[in-house]
Amino acid sequence: MTSHAATLDSPDPDRQNADASILSSVQNRADSMTAADFGAAEGLRGFSPLQKGIGLRLLAYIVLFSTVVTLIATVIQLYVDYRRDVGAIEQRMQEIERTSLDSIAGSLWNVDTGELHLQLEGLQRLPDMQMVELRETGSLDKPLVIRVGLPQDGAVMGRDFPLFHGAGGQRQQIGQLRVEASLSSVYSRLWDTAVFILLSQGVKTFLVSMFTLYLVYRLVTRHLISIAAYLDRYDLHQPAPKLELSRRKPMSTDELDRMVNAFNVMCEGLQGAYGELSHVNKELQDDIRARLRAEEEVRHLNSVLELRVRQRTAELEAANKELGSFTYSVSHDLRAPLRRIEGFGQILADEYAGNLDERGLHYIRRIRAGANDMGEMIDSFLKLSRSTRGELAVETVNLSSLAADTVEQLREKDPERQVSVEIQSDVTVQGDRRLLRVVLENLLDNAWKYSRKADKPMIAFGATQDAGGTVFFVRDNGVGFDMANVNRLFTPFNRLHKAEEFEGSGIGLATVQRILARHGGRVWATAAPGRGATFHFTCWEGKSADEQS
Amino acid sequence: MSSHKILLVEDNVDDVELTMHAFRSHGQGTDVVVAHDGEEALDYIYAQGSYADRKEGVPALLLLDLKLPGISGLDVLRRVRSVPETRRMPVVILTTSDDEGDIITGYDLGANSYIRKPVEFGSFTRVVEQLGLYWLMINTPAPH
Repeated sequence: MTSHAATLDSPDPDRQNADASILSSVQNRADSMTAADFGAAEGLRGFSPLQKGIGLRLLAYIVLFSTVVTLIATVIQLYVDYRRDVGAIEQRMQEIERTSLDSIAGSLWNVDTGELHLQLEGLQRLPDMQMVELRETGSLDKPLVIRVGLPQDGAVMGRDFPLFHGAGGQRQQIGQLRVEASLSSVYSRLWDTAVFILLSQGVKTFLVSMFTLYLVYRLVTRHLISIAAYLDRYDLHQPAPKLELSRRKPMSTDELDRMVNAFNVMCEGLQGAYGELSHVNKELQDDIRARLRAEEEVRHLNSVLELRVRQRTAELEAANKELGSFTYSVSHDLRAPLRRIEGFGQILADEYAGNLDERGLHYIRRIRAGANDMGEMIDSFLKLSRSTRGELAVETVNLSSLAADTVEQLREKDPERQVSVEIQSDVTVQGDRRLLRVVLENLLDNAWKYSRKADKPMIAFGATQDAGGTVFFVRDNGVGFDMANVNRLFTPFNRLHKAEEFEGSGIGLATVQRILARHGGRVWATAAPGRGATFHFTCWEGKSADEQS
Repeated sequence: MSSHKILLVEDNVDDVELTMHAFRSHGQGTDVVVAHDGEEALDYIYAQGSYADRKEGVPALLLLDLKLPGISGLDVLRRVRSVPETRRMPVVILTTSDDEGDIITGYDLGANSYIRKPVEFGSFTRVVEQLGLYWLMINTPAPH
C-alpha cells in the first residue's frame, strides 16, 4: 500500500484522487465502525429489524425473491385463467352451432322475424356474448338483417355460422349468423385475479419477511450483538465471566453454541497467552532493572576505578619524578665526593709518597680502590635505575650485530684472552636498541668474565624456537653456579661469587631482568658448577612484536 | 679580541683545586680563571660587575659545571649562546653527571663538548690535559 507520506506530495492528480478515496474509505470505515459500535450498544436496549445490517438486507432479498416468484406464479395463473375463459367461450360457440343453428335456419326460412329476434336475443344473453347478427344470403334485393347487441371495437372473438335449409341434395344456404363474444370481461376478470394475487402475495411476503426477520433476530442476530458487545467490553486485564447466551438451551448444540464455545476457548487462550506475556514482560522488566542497576554499578565502579587510576598515576608520576631527581642527585652529588677522595688520594700518593711508608701507601691504595669501586657501583646503579624509566623506542634490532660489537669491545679490553665466540647470524627482535645493548653487554660480559678459568673458553649467542616463541640465549663454558642459588641471581647487589674472584657490582643481571620485563619478556638461567651457564631470555611473550610497536 | 684564558666555572673548592692540580701537573702553564657561580662567570665573560675593569676579550674556552648555585650552568650556556660576541666561544661542559637530559639539553643549547669527570683521578688528569691541548692548541677558534 502506498504510504501517505509518499503520496501527499505526489504531483500525480490520479494518485492523489486515489489517495483521497483511500482516505475517505478509511474515514468511512471509521464512521461505520463507530456506527456499528453505536448500533451494538443500541441493540442491547432495543432492536429494530429494519435497522441497517443483516436484517435489512435479508428483508430486501426475501422481498425481491418473493416478488419474482409471485410474478412468475401470477403470470402462469393468468395464462391458465385466460385459456380457461377463452375455452368456455369457444365451447359456448360450439353449443350454439350444435343447438341453435337449425331452429334459427327454420325461422329464417319462414321469415319469422319475431321468432328470430327472440332466438338471437336468447343467444346474446349467453355469458360474454356481445353481438349476434343474422344476415340473409342469396340473390335478394333486400336481404334480411337482424342484429342484437352492438359491435365492439376492442378485443372480440367472432364466429360466422352458415345457415342451411333442406336436407340431402337440396340443402342450400339461406343465411349467415355472426356471433361476437367480447373478451373485455375476460380481461377484467384476469385483472382482478392479478390484483388479488399480487396483493395477497405482497401482504404474505411482507408478513413472512417480518416473521423471518424476527426469527433471525431472535435466534441469531441478538446473540451476535450480545457477543459483539461482550467482545467490545472484553478487557484482558480484567477478564469477564465466560460468554453465555441468554436463551433457552436448544436440544442439541447449534452453531451459536459452537461459536460461543470457540470464543470462550479463544478467550481462555488469549488470557493464558496474556498471562504468559505479562509474566515474561515482568521478567524482562526485572531483567532490565537488574541490568540498569548493574550498569549503574559498573559506571560507579568505573568512576571509582578511574579516580583510583588517576590517583595511582599521579602517585606513580610523583614517585617517578622523585626517583628521577634521586637518580640525578646520585649521579651528581654522590660521585662528586668520591672523585675528591680519589683525587686527593692520588695526589697524596704521587706527591707525598716520600713521606709515607709502604703501609701508608697501601692504605691510600685501598682508599682509592674503595672510591673507584663505589664509583662503578653508582654507575651500575644508575644504569639499573635508568633501564626502568623513560619511553621504549621500539624498532627492529639486530641482536647478532649488537652481540658482535660487544664481543669486539671485550676483545679490545682484554686482548690477551683467547675466547671462541659463536654468534648466530641475523637474530632480530623488536625492542629498544639502547636497552637491548645493555642486556647483551651484561650477559656477554658475564660469560666473558666467568669463562676466564676455562681451558678452552667458549661463548655462544643464538635463538631457538619453542611453543611460546623465540628464546634467545647466551651460553658459556665457565665456572657456572649452583642452581640452588638461581633465585638470588637477579636480585640487585647479590653475588654468587666472591669479589676477589670475579669483579662486579651485582647489579648487571637485575638490570637485564628489568629491561626484559619492560620488553614483555623474562630471563632465566640454567647452570651447574664448573660446567658453564646458559642465560635464556625472551621478549613479548604471548604477543606479537607488532602489537607492541 | 679573545684572551688565551680558560674560564673554569665550578662552585666546589675541592673540585677547583683538583682541576687546577690536573692543569698544573702537565705544566702547560695554562691560564685558568675560576668563577664560583653562574653570575660571576657571566660577569667575567662580559667584563661587568666586579670584572668591569677587565681588559681582555672573551675567554678562549669555557669549562662549565652544570650544578651551580644561583644561575645554573645550562642557563649560563643559554645566555652565552644568545649574545653575538660569545656565540662561537668554545664551551665544554665538565660535570659529574651523566644524566641523559643534561647531555641532550647541553648539546641542544650549543655546547661544543660534554665531558663527565671520571672518578679515577689519573683519568681525570688525562682528560684535563687533552682538553687544554685540544681546545687551545689543536682547535682553530672562530675569528672575531
